[in-house]
Amino acid sequence: MSERLAVLLIDDEPIVGKRLGPSLTKIGCDVEAFEDPKKALERIDEKSFDVVVTDIRMGEIDGMQVLDHVRARSPRTKVIMITGYAMVELAREAMEKGAFDFVAKPFRAKDLREVIARAAEALGASVALDNAGISRGDEH
Amino acid sequence: MKLSIIILSSDSVEMEKEIAQKTGSALGYDLLDRRLLSVVESRYEIPLDKLEWALEELASSRRQSVDLQRQALAYIQATTLEELLKDNLVCHGLGAHLYVLGVSHALRVRILAAPEELMEDMSTKKARDRVDRRRKLRQNWSLALYGLDETDPSQYDLVISLSQIDTEEAVKIITQTAGYRRFAPMTYSINCLRDAELASRVRARLWEQFPNVKVRAKGGTVVVETKGALRNKMKTAATIKEVVQPMEGVDYVEVHVMNKLFKKALPLSR
Repeated sequence: MSERLAVLLIDDEPIVGKRLGPSLTKIGCDVEAFEDPKKALERIDEKSFDVVVTDIRMGEIDGMQVLDHVRARSPRTKVIMITGYAMVELAREAMEKGAFDFVAKPFRAKDLREVIARAAEALGASVALDNAGISRGDEH
Repeated sequence: MKLSIIILSSDSVEMEKEIAQKTGSALGYDLLDRRLLSVVESRYEIPLDKLEWALEELASSRRQSVDLQRQALAYIQATTLEELLKDNLVCHGLGAHLYVLGVSHALRVRILAAPEELMEDMSTKKARDRVDRRRKLRQNWSLALYGLDETDPSQYDLVISLSQIDTEEAVKIITQTAGYRRFAPMTYSINCLRDAELASRVRARLWEQFPNVKVRAKGGTVVVETKGALRNKMKTAATIKEVVQPMEGVDYVEVHVMNKLFKKALPLSR
């Protein structure tokens, strides 16, 4: 595993990648962001990421399919589900399928950074949470 | 992440207690039960017997009794939710199965007693009648106070009948189920529990002055709805904000005053 945490972001809303990408780079992650889940899956087939953060409702391919794909391809990869349609049943299903965590939108970038930090710790790595600083308009 | 929660409910107080203790023991979880009422008593100055009464009986139709019961239950709820945020717990006897809702890491279990096992010195028919009477009382109690039927199996994640399964096997089933990933704590479910705790705590804090408030909380934002006369809405809102804003975990308070006549929410500006 490389020194910097390799993170893949998948969300069909462009603003999520634009805001979260730099936020995670600050704490020592190498981030690749995709709006198209199909292209994201192709990238996952090329490279093993440490963490995948994926939205759930994305049209043709949803986050659960991404989760299944990642789990089959790279069981060590930690998958974090994010969604604006959080419900108990969906959360439980995601965890049962092997998600590392499930986060409801809206969330603060700070909250996701803390989840990523825990994912890193579970992988035997760490991120520099202290580098994040404080920023306004942090909500997603 | 810690914070696994198992909430037990049963039509038999004895079985509920026994299985809760054995489950807690098997998993190394602390037990959260009616011993918590002594904390509620000292914090809110309501006598212990009134708190026990609130959890067991249905108040008469006298307004004073109903209000006192709701007040006691509000305090019990706030205190219980605060504890549920702390550690891995097995919880019973505090009505938590009726207000810990939508928290995916809370495993809600219903234990159906075997009447014959409980009543050694009476006939099976008498035992069944007694259990059925208690079940009816609990159904009425939970519907009246929470709008939910605690005897309805569909309210639970797991239902175990002790007519066919003994207590040791029941404990094994519960501990095994609690280990399923679907009941693991996650950021979403922990935040749901935090929001429920904050809303309950705010409601308890406001109760003396505003007994009919409805409170919702999400990520530090608290929304309070209360009934009041239009002419006093600014004063009411200011009073509520003064009480709630300094509370731990509160970032922002919004107050809606419902006009008694028109029953319409009149949102107030910041």
